Amino acid sequence: MVDLNTLPDPDDPESGFAAVIALRRLADGLERRAVRSALRQGWSWVRIAQALGVTKQAAHKRLSDVPTGDETP
Amino acid sequence: MFSSIKARFQNIGTIKALCEGAERHAREDGQRDAGAEHFLLAAFDLPDGTARRAFAAIGADSAGLRPAIERQYADGLKLVGLDPTLSDVFAAPAPPKQKLYDAAPSGQAVMQALAAERVGHRPLLGAHVVDVVAGMPHGVAARALRVMGIDAAALQAAALNIIREKQAS
Repeated sequence: MVDLNTLPDPDDPESGFAAVIALRRLADGLERRAVRSALRQGWSWVRIAQALGVTKQAAHKRLSDVPTGDETP
Repeated sequence: MFSSIKARFQNIGTIKALCEGAERHAREDGQRDAGAEHFLLAAFDLPDGTARRAFAAIGADSAGLRPAIERQYADGLKLVGLDPTLSDVFAAPAPPKQKLYDAAPSGQAVMQALAAERVGHRPLLGAHVVDVVAGMPHGVAARALRVMGIDAAALQAAALNIIREKQAS
């Protein structure tokens, strides 16, 4: 449970932005890991896009370089 | 005349090394596009050694930059009450890009600043990158320098001194 008292002071934008960057990086990593797992399980890009709430084109453009680990060298 | 042409060709090689180095550092950092902090790390790798010298001139250790960048992510998570070690959990290296070279906005700002000052680059040095990045007041690079206890203005002055010395020799 996040303690709301520990959230960055709204009057300190520098700390707020530092938290946003860290959260964005964390979210990107989590998203890529989930997409890799979905592709390994045979999910289509349509299904991945629906689960992420974006269009298939947007999902493919941003995440098509996620390695599944099954690529032939 | 000849020295100006020579410098121009040298600069092309340096820009290529900088861009490729910044992209490599960004990928190692789990990011797809290089930011100002990755250009600074790439400047340390340049053979002219002037970026590291600028840090040394103010008593700072350039090897401390990468840990300071990583600390930004951990500290950012801590600020919202999350476990700071989560920043390492998902930090897998990003795969190489297939598309044409692109940088994150802060990386683009570094390249634009270098391009704007290119006439004075005889040749382009790592210290020029230090000068540009140290002049950026916000962002991961600026915060990393602050975490290292670096006075950005002093670092800029040191970089400019080294550039002057190098160009006079």
